[in-house]
Parts: sequence; C-alpha cells; structure tokens
Amino acid sequence: MPRPDRRRVLAGLGAAILTPHVARAATIRDGAGREIAIPAKVERVFPAGPPAAIQLYTLAPELLLGWPRANRPEELEFLLPGIGNRPEVGRITGRGNSANLEAVLQWKPDLIVDAGSTGRTYVELAERVQGQTGIPYALLDGRFAAIPDSYRILGRLTGRSERAETLAGWCENAMATIRGRIAGIPAEKRPSVYYARGPRGLETGLGGSINVETLSFLGARNVADQPGSGLAQVSLEQVLAWNPEVIVTIDLAFSDAVRSDPAWADVRAVKAGRVHLSPKLPFGWVDFPPSVNRMIGLWWLAKLLYPEAFPEDIRPLARDFHTLFYQVTPSEAQLDRVLSGRN
Amino acid sequence: MSLSAADLAYGYRERLIGRDIALSLARGEVLALLGPNGSGKTTLLKTLLGLLPARGGSLTLDERPLSALSPPERARALGYVPQAHAGTFAFTVLSVVLMGRSAHGGLFAAPSRRDHAVAHAMLERLGIDRLAQRPYTLISGGERQLALIARALAQEPAYVILDEPTASLDFGNQGRVMSEIRRLAAEGLGVLFTTHDPNQALRHADRVMMIRDGQALASGPASTLLTPERLEQLYRVPIETVRGDDGRVAFLPG
Amino acid sequence: MRRSAIGGNAIALSLLACAVLLAFGLGRFPVGPGDLGRLLWSGLSGQPSGLPSQIETVIWNIRGPRVLAALLCGAALAVAGTAFQGLFRNPLVSPDILGASSGAALGAVLGIYLSLGLFAIQLSAFLGGLVAVGAVYAVGSTIRRGDPVLVLVLTGVVVGSLLGAGIGLVKYWADPYNQLPAMTFWLLGSLAGTSKADLLPLLGPVLLGSAALVALRWRMNAMSLPEEEAQALGLRTGPLRLAIVVAATLVTAASVAAAGIIGWVGLVVPHLARFLVGPDFGRLVPTAAVLGGGYLLVIDTLARTAGPVETPLGILTAVIGTPFFIWLLASSRGGWS
Repeated sequence: MPRPDRRRVLAGLGAAILTPHVARAATIRDGAGREIAIPAKVERVFPAGPPAAIQLYTLAPELLLGWPRANRPEELEFLLPGIGNRPEVGRITGRGNSANLEAVLQWKPDLIVDAGSTGRTYVELAERVQGQTGIPYALLDGRFAAIPDSYRILGRLTGRSERAETLAGWCENAMATIRGRIAGIPAEKRPSVYYARGPRGLETGLGGSINVETLSFLGARNVADQPGSGLAQVSLEQVLAWNPEVIVTIDLAFSDAVRSDPAWADVRAVKAGRVHLSPKLPFGWVDFPPSVNRMIGLWWLAKLLYPEAFPEDIRPLARDFHTLFYQVTPSEAQLDRVLSGRN
Repeated sequence: MSLSAADLAYGYRERLIGRDIALSLARGEVLALLGPNGSGKTTLLKTLLGLLPARGGSLTLDERPLSALSPPERARALGYVPQAHAGTFAFTVLSVVLMGRSAHGGLFAAPSRRDHAVAHAMLERLGIDRLAQRPYTLISGGERQLALIARALAQEPAYVILDEPTASLDFGNQGRVMSEIRRLAAEGLGVLFTTHDPNQALRHADRVMMIRDGQALASGPASTLLTPERLEQLYRVPIETVRGDDGRVAFLPG
Repeated sequence: MRRSAIGGNAIALSLLACAVLLAFGLGRFPVGPGDLGRLLWSGLSGQPSGLPSQIETVIWNIRGPRVLAALLCGAALAVAGTAFQGLFRNPLVSPDILGASSGAALGAVLGIYLSLGLFAIQLSAFLGGLVAVGAVYAVGSTIRRGDPVLVLVLTGVVVGSLLGAGIGLVKYWADPYNQLPAMTFWLLGSLAGTSKADLLPLLGPVLLGSAALVALRWRMNAMSLPEEEAQALGLRTGPLRLAIVVAATLVTAASVAAAGIIGWVGLVVPHLARFLVGPDFGRLVPTAAVLGGGYLLVIDTLARTAGPVETPLGILTAVIGTPFFIWLLASSRGGWS
C-alpha cells in the first residue's frame, strides 16, 4: 500500500485552511449569482461550450485553450492565426457532453467558463465540475441583453477589465442607439417577421426562444409568437396564413429555393423581395451560437426591418466589429463573402 | 401406388435422428407408428412429408422420388394433420379448411367457387359443417382436430399423415377421431398416424411399425405384431394384457 | 360473415371519405367549402377557378400533396403491419420489427449530419431502411437453428438496438444548434414539408410494395401457420416470406423516408381492421389499407390544425394509439378476432 506523502497532505490541509481566506479577498459573483474565487493567475481557460469560446476569444484570445468544435477553413480566415486553429476540446454542457473531465484536467485550465442558461441544471453542473476538478467554473448569463455584463465579469476573472469595458461599451452603445431609433416606430409600422430554419424553411423559433432573441429586441412582430421557448415545426399553409412581411433565414438551400418555389410565391415577403439570408462567417449573425456574434447581426436585422431608420452602410459597421471583436480586419472580398450569407 | 421408404436415414443437418427405416404405406390402409417419447417419430413424419430432406436411402411417392416433387405437388398428394393448437388469429373454421386449398390455386388467387365447394364438402364429411363460421380459437379441442383433418382432406390428397391425432383429446373425442381415420382408409386413402397408445394401433391400424431411438424395432400386421413381449421391449416397462370374452385384448402399462 | 365483411368495408370506406373531405376542408389557411367546390370544378373542367392564387396554391400545392402523402403513408404502414403480424404470427408486431424504421432513421440523421439536400436525405433514409432489413435477413438466414421466423425477429431486435445506438451516436456528433433540432423533428415524424415533388419517390415504392402485399394476401392466411404446416399445405415458405418482407420493407422505408418515424399506425390499424372484417387476410389487407390511410389522414389533419405550430405525428399517434390499444387488450378474448 503506498504511504501518503506527508508533505502533500500538509500542503493540502494548509490550502484547505487558507483558501477561504484568500477567496474572501478576491471573489466575484458570476452570471448565476454564484461566488467565484478570482484565480491569482489565468493563462489557460477552458470554454464549456461554443458561446463561451466565442466570448472568451473576443476578449482574450490568447487564453482560449481550444474550441468545442474545430473551426472550418472558411471560418479560420476571419480569426487570429494560431488561435482560430487551436484544437478541438469538446464541450461540457448541453446534451452532447463530449469533454471527459479527466481530459479537461489534462488541458490544465486555470478557469472554466460557460455562457448560456443560468438555470438550476447548469448551476448544479457547474458546482459539480468545480468540486470534482478543483478548478473555478464561471457561469455567464448567455442572454443577448446580458452580454455587456458577461464581458465585465469575464474581464475581472481574467484580468482584462479594460478591454472588457471597451467591448461591453460597444455593445451597450449599439443596443442603446438601436433601441432609441426604434422606440418611436409605432406598432403598425413594425413588420411581421417569419424566422425560417431548415432546408424547407419550416422550422422556426417560438416567441421566447433564444434563436429569435435579437428579433424580439428589435420589436419585430414574430409571427410564431407562441408560448414556448424553443424551435417548432410549422406548415407552409400556416406561413401563408401568417403572410409575413419579412423572412429571415439561416438556411442557404431554403433561401435559394424560396424565390422560385410557386408554393411560396404569394407570401408578402417573397413578393416584396424581403427574404434575407443571414451571414454566418465566422459565426452566425442571428441564431447560433448564441453569443456576441449576434451583436453585429442586430445592426443587420435593424436595417432589414426598418430601412428608413437605419440609413448607415452595414459594411463599415461589420468591418469595425470584426476589427474590434475578432481582431482581424476583413478585406472587401471577405466582407462580400460574409454579407452574401454563403460559406 | 404407395408412399415407400427404403434404407431411409433421417434427421437434421447436424444430427442424424434415425436410419435403416423401411416402410410402405398403400392407399386404403392404416399404418400406425408406435414408439416412446423421443423415439424420433415426429422427425420421421416430417421426412415422410418432404418437409425435411432424407439423409440417406430412398423415399418415393407412387414410384417417384419425393424430393423431385414441387411443394404444391407434394401437398396435393400428402395431407398433413398436425397436433391441434389454438393458433394466433381467430380464423373461422371455413378459413382454416380453405387454407388446405393453397396448393390448388395460383400464388395470387383468391379461393375459387370450387375451393369453397370442396371445403364445405370436407366439413360435411366430418360432420362439422355447422362450425364453418365459428372462430377456430373458440371451438373445442376435438372439433379443432376434426377441422384440421378437414383441412388436410381439402388438399384432396392420396395419403394423410397425422401426428398424434388424439394426444390432447378427451376419451369421447379420441374415439370419434379414430373412427374418422378408419373411414378415410375405407374411402381409399392411405393413412399414417403416430400414437402413444398401443390399443389404438391395435384397434384402428392395419399395420404397425415400432420405432425406438430412430430405428425400426419391428413392423407387421397389427394383430400379430402387438404382443406384450414386444411392447415391453419397446417401452421398457412391464405390460399387463387384459383379455375380453370375445378374445379381444388390451394392454395396460406398469 | 360475408355480409358483415361488406358492412365492414362500407364503414371503412365511408370513414375514409369523411376523412378526405375533412382534411381538404380544414387547415390553417381559411378555404371555404364553396371555394373548394369551385376549385374541384376547375380542376375537372380545366377552366380557371377565378379564385385568388393563394387559395389555389394552398389546395393544389400544399394541402393536396399532404393529404395524398398521409393517405399513402397510412395505408402503406397499415398493410405492412398487417402482413408482418401474419408472417410473424404475432399481433403485437409492427412494420419496424425488422429494423426498417431504425435503419431509415439512421439514414436520415446521417443525411442531416452530412448536410445533404432534401432529396438526398430522403434517399438516404429509404436506403437505410432497405439495408437494415437486408442485413437482418442475411444474418437471420445464416442461423439455421430453430424456427426461422423466431430467428428473424430476434435478429431484428438485436440489429434494431444497434441501429438505435448508431442514431444516438450521430445525434451526439451533431451540431446542437442546427442539426440536432432537425434530427429531433425528423425522428418525431411530420408531413409538414410535403410538396408535390415528394410524392413521386413515395408513390413508386408504396404502390409497388402494397400491390405485392395485396396480391399475396390470400397466401398470408397459411403463412401465419407454423412453418412446417404452411410447407405441408404446399407453400414455398422461404421465397414467400422473402417476398412479403421485401414488399413490406419497401413501403415502410418509403413512408418513413417521407414522413419520419410514425409509430402505432402499423400496429393499431390491423387490429381495427380485424375488428371490422375478421382475421382472414384476404379481406383484412384491403380494409387495413383503407383504414390506415384514413387514420393517418385524420391524425395529420389534427397535427396541422390543432395550433399554429405543428404537433409531431409520432406523438399524436402514440397519444391516440395507446389508450386504444389498452382498450383492445382489455376487450379481446379468445384470440385476436
């Protein structure tokens, strides 16, 4: 039987006695209101899922250990070299829990960050992982409106408060500007919008779903304003009955087909040419992953819905956003590709 | 004209059950197959029906090798009466008997007028015409056995092979089924049945074949073959013989 | 019995007619009965209906194809279920017993995972169903011990659970934002996206397979007997079984490819049909087809009219099928009548 190493036992005891004291000195409340000890040094951060990875990348790219899913070549060119291609590390939360905790430990992270739901399931998951690994696990509120606050929390946790304030400020500024301009638009001038997913365009986000958060933020009338907070399937007949003025989609195949499909020809949005394919490079502008990438999508959507109220050109806005958040300035050709919505 | 086997070996691909079987069933006669449990009677029946390929020797039906016949041809010559079972679906008795006509129509054919006529004729022949529309699952065991005989007869075969036709029947139904069997032979069919009861063989069969461990111990006319000595040899228990005033005998085991 | 069979078929056909009328009349897009009549007249006479083009689109391009697809899928699943219940001598068997549905499901989720086009996903599902049953049949045929029907069922169960694991694995790999919801919708079953273009790949296999099953229905009586009895009645059980399995798989795989996983229809409808016309397959198979088509049509009409958002078919068939089946179990006595 191996004898316990006395020095290590003593050190462990010492740590157990000392930790609360140190923690009291520097703690922060995360997005779920949990008290997290701010680690003394943060050099390696493990993202629990795609939204956390994106937000962390925009704040402190060099800390990001890897990506939940490896980025594709067409996405890589919009990310910092040497960081966009960091390895695939799997994800901890969500249905596909593909990161083994032992493997997580092997990456020797100083901090685990998750962004998304702060519901009880995720709080308990965070507590458990933190207890098992001994690594602080911060849970950020992934809702669109909470993005600036999440930046500030992440900034304090990683010692990047200054840049966090810059990014949070950009977001708050965008949200305030846009909110201010649409506040005066009367309800009847707000277009009805159908958000189409899937190759047939017959999957949609219900009123309360995270998929259409930015649409709700913009005060658009989501035709599928049903109780519920997820995706649902609808029939084409129902879409005809709704007869939306604008269709926003993330599906390339649908956006190609809808313009020539006789069954869709009578929908107001199709007749008026107001079917819009969402840009998705390097990360989608409307729906997924639900992270800061939606911030530029907010401008894009605002222009689609209220062209008169938003005369500015989307190109410089997108260039600024890329430069500030992704720290890679796209060329004109790259911008064309982003705005076309094609990969 | 007979169902004949010579030097017949039978069994499954991986296991031979019996061999050296010589047997001949002529039209108009009743042959009983007598043997203890596990003697290989049922496997022999399946081989005689052409459901299992013979493992050796010859097996002919009216001078043609049985294996050369197509399944429908076989079914039009050999009728099979399995042990009565309840069945999965509640077919009417008429539907059950009509299944006996499978080999007489095309693959896609519905039962014809003639098929219906034959089925009803066979039901009448066995005196169960009144059951025609009753669910097969809701009639008695004896009636089921009669329905299965009617089904075999609807095949219009020259020979009928019955597997323990009285195994699960009460005393009265045993008598009814056995006298039907006798009548079939009188009408010119060759009848072969297996049984556990030597008295049945003695009373209703013309000839008897005794098998044990897949081998024929003896065969010959029922009246001379069935002796207490041979039965003791077959079943390995003492046999008591009861004699009636008219000279008829019956056997009791143990 | 003969008269009651005619009565049973009359009931089934009138139910079907009601279902079709109801299905064409109801929908999220309001179309009045008068408009329906004018549309029908213009369809028959070739003259313009004079109705707004939206109404024409709804009836001819959306509701019409969907009604037809529901009829085809329902009839196909019911006929396949009836045939399999006979073939496997078990009234609790459904068309997916040999893995047709799980194979098709694996094909579909793989197609979604690989971001294939719509038609390719359907094809992948269809082929998945055929390959799965082919594998079950091939494996089952190499096992020469015991009752071939039982061996086939057990192989189906084993392969089915392996396919289930495969589906789980692909879902696990899938992108949780985009692909996973699509897979979930597909696995729950829906006809929401049916268009005219979907009818052709459905029509061919379903008509072919159903025609074969209807043609073979008189032999299914004897095929429901124990193997050796059926052989003694002159049936070539091996080729017949293969033919029934191929035909039933064809229709099941095509239906699942078009509509996703819809349970219960193939299990419950054969019982309903037996209740109406008795167990004789000669009468049962056509009645099951009629009832199956009507049943799924009613379910699908409910699915698309109950609310602005579609209710998945698989959920409706289960919610309606389960109590019905329990009632059936409780009220049946002395065999499956």
